[in-house]
Amino acid sequence: MTTALRIAVTLAAVIAAVLVGWWLWTFYVLSPWTRDARVQANVVEVAPDVSGLITAINVVDNQKVAKGDVLFVIDHERFALAVDEAQAAAAQSQWTLKLAQDDARRDEQILARDPGAIAAETVETSRTKAGEAAAALQLTQARLATAQLNLRRSTVRAPANGYITNLTAAVGDYATSGTGVLALVDSDSFYVYAYFMETKLPGIKNGSEADVKLMAGDTVLKGTVQGLSRAIANPTAAGGGLLASVDPNFEWIRLAQRIPVRIALKNLPADLALAAGMSATVVIRPAPPPS
Amino acid sequence: MGAPSLAVFGTVELLGFYLPPAVLWAGAALVPYALLRWLLGRSGLYRFVWHRSLLNLALYVLLVGGVVFLGTVGRS
Repeated sequence: MTTALRIAVTLAAVIAAVLVGWWLWTFYVLSPWTRDARVQANVVEVAPDVSGLITAINVVDNQKVAKGDVLFVIDHERFALAVDEAQAAAAQSQWTLKLAQDDARRDEQILARDPGAIAAETVETSRTKAGEAAAALQLTQARLATAQLNLRRSTVRAPANGYITNLTAAVGDYATSGTGVLALVDSDSFYVYAYFMETKLPGIKNGSEADVKLMAGDTVLKGTVQGLSRAIANPTAAGGGLLASVDPNFEWIRLAQRIPVRIALKNLPADLALAAGMSATVVIRPAPPPS
Repeated sequence: MGAPSLAVFGTVELLGFYLPPAVLWAGAALVPYALLRWLLGRSGLYRFVWHRSLLNLALYVLLVGGVVFLGTVGRS
């Protein structure tokens, strides 16, 4: 009797433990949580549209700037001179046009009064010259507009709200158009990339609530799943030619791939110093049942 | 059954080592486990047990499950 009771008690405990252990295992392996998440932001590489010497830098490293603030100025003088030059050229073409038009009009009048006094060819030539002069004026005016645009673009402004990062340029550096001078971290664009094991993906739906715990200060932020990446690179597929080169090794130990899931942050505290690249832990709450 | 949350899946930092949450669960369950063993020993209930270590193991797993369950339900 006692023996039967002893066996029954122990077996009941063991069976319960197996069930609970199974639940623990699936909970740990399938729940959508990851310790491998990173804060990211859009980084604008600010490059000038015109080349020239940097004559002034109006910001310091890590400064917060608003959209439209002047970041740095490139050789204002040279572009102002270019505008003067283009203006003079435009005035010159203006006068050339006036002369050609006057000539053309005079020749027309002579022809109208006395057709024998002037050759029809001369009248045509002066009319064509007037047309040419009009086109030349348009050309110089367009060049003037370009010079004015270059002058405006020689003052480089912030394209977004954010922070100056890794400012290494100095006054006197030669800035080349299209080559980045400084980086601007868009402060309105912070998001989190959470790298989830592929086994956990079925539990993640677009729009699910996400809790983001930063490694810095254990700050907890709220977020929403914005979408999951639909492709990662295949490290075993070597490129070269059109044909796939398949690695003949089969891995006995297979690691679940990590798929990036993008999480939009919301209600960011104003005093929180977020930096792109920070580590975070992310737990995704189950999606509410569809109503 | 509770939903996964940061309460159970938070990471623990120990001198620069970032431990997985499972270590935290195992550690948290040790306290009630020690208490339960002491109680069972005192009350002599081990008399009704077939293999003492097997039961201890089962009790420990049950306690870990209980700790995690409380963690998921406690903060929703």
